[in-house]
Amino acid sequence: MLSKEQNERLTRVGPGTPMGDLLRRYWYPVAFARELEDWPIRKVRLLGEDFALWRTPEGGYGIIQESCPHRAASLLYGVVEVDGLRCGYHGWKFDESGNCMDQPAEPGKSAFMRHVKAFAGKAEALGGMVWAYIGPDPAPELPRFDVFVDPGFIDVGHSMLPCNWLQIMENSVDPHHVEYLHGRYFEFLGSQQGFVAPKSFQKKHLKVGFDAMEWGILKRRVLEGHTEQDDDWAIGHPLVFPHSMRVGGAGIDQMQIRVPIDDTTTWAMFYSNHHPEGLDHYPEQIYPVDYEYQWMDDKGRHIVDYIEGQDVMAWVSQGAINDRTAEHIGKSDIGVIMLRRMFKAQMARVEAGEDPTVGFTRSPHQRIELPCEKKKFGASIDFALAWLDMGSTRYSPALDTLRKIHLEAARVRGETPNSDEYATAQHVGIY
Amino acid sequence: MSDPEASDPGARVSGAHWWDPDRASHLADRPRFCPNCGNGVTGTEGISVEYWEADRRVFHTWCNTCGWSGNIVRVERMVGHEPEH
Repeated sequence: MLSKEQNERLTRVGPGTPMGDLLRRYWYPVAFARELEDWPIRKVRLLGEDFALWRTPEGGYGIIQESCPHRAASLLYGVVEVDGLRCGYHGWKFDESGNCMDQPAEPGKSAFMRHVKAFAGKAEALGGMVWAYIGPDPAPELPRFDVFVDPGFIDVGHSMLPCNWLQIMENSVDPHHVEYLHGRYFEFLGSQQGFVAPKSFQKKHLKVGFDAMEWGILKRRVLEGHTEQDDDWAIGHPLVFPHSMRVGGAGIDQMQIRVPIDDTTTWAMFYSNHHPEGLDHYPEQIYPVDYEYQWMDDKGRHIVDYIEGQDVMAWVSQGAINDRTAEHIGKSDIGVIMLRRMFKAQMARVEAGEDPTVGFTRSPHQRIELPCEKKKFGASIDFALAWLDMGSTRYSPALDTLRKIHLEAARVRGETPNSDEYATAQHVGIY
Repeated sequence: MSDPEASDPGARVSGAHWWDPDRASHLADRPRFCPNCGNGVTGTEGISVEYWEADRRVFHTWCNTCGWSGNIVRVERMVGHEPEH
């Protein structure tokens, strides 16, 4: 249980708030690169502020406050030029650092433009997405995590959710929810609706552990029938501070990214890199496949017959901002407590004028490898198929391609799928 | 040393709600000061989070002033053996 003040400090992300100041020390994906090919200017809302993101003719990116410093017209309706973005209203032009470069209607020798500066962040492409940094200079390095740079077939499901980002992050240090939300509850749905829920998620947790690490919190579990030598404990997978979780298994490496749009809206995406053992080449992609996953039906009820839909139900049904003054947490919630403490410690560093120490780097690099189990829950082709067919990937336009990739890899490895998994897939209309 | 919530924790809950008396009681006796250095742990200087372990109320407490962290357990009755949980 938290006091109202503690809850406010941990959940408010706008400018001038302690958490907002901390979160502004990190990079966030704000668009897919292909979207800037369709039209070179795009609206971005991030941490409660509105921006115009644009693609330069040379292929770089700029991000600037949406409202023109002149008379507040939206720069979304601007003109992209070689050296900046020009407001469509009176033609003021701003470069990628926010410097005013031109004021066409002002007298020729006016020095006025030297006194005008727009707020500008930094923007870079990585993994088919455009990432933005809107904090103080100098910007840290954009972490190039393995899943964004390794070869594979990339599939990204995303949706805008009406809840605070912290309740999604707390779910990432709550291993026990898996055996109930994705295990027992899924099994109950299956018994009511006549399908077989994935067995992989029904195993009981015998032990969970959490270790603070450079990039966040490493989460470990021992499941019934497994030992500490299995990947789920020996390796585990990390919450990547402050907005992501790295997870994987069966040749799927995934980053779950939760972008705090504002206090009560989160862009929740599942960025998956499919590269199953047995294959060394994948269908060619210019850009990652991206699509919206559905989480609510036309009657306003949560869609809960797939894994991420169940998670979304748990995140969103807590309310726009979970009122933690009414919670009753137990020993099984120690990961959640650890995360809150980590946030407060990092907030205190930023308040003291220091850099964060978790999930943050100023060292140039090519690739950051994160620890992540390979044989999740004893994973095999069955786990991969359950992931595809009973996860948000079922909304992917590339689902057939992904299934072929994994089945072909299994054939090369000499594995055949369990018939129950096919029955599950058939129920949801896959086969 | 400061503690913005020390004066009346019951007045700081989130408003009219049938659950408010329970919220107030949970907040009323939680640790507000670091057992090591005495600085506040409820405002900007740390965190104190209540959780339950069987029938014991445990407050995980961290002080950003001196770095102390640990679990503070509310003891209602002295018991010689750990209860099953």
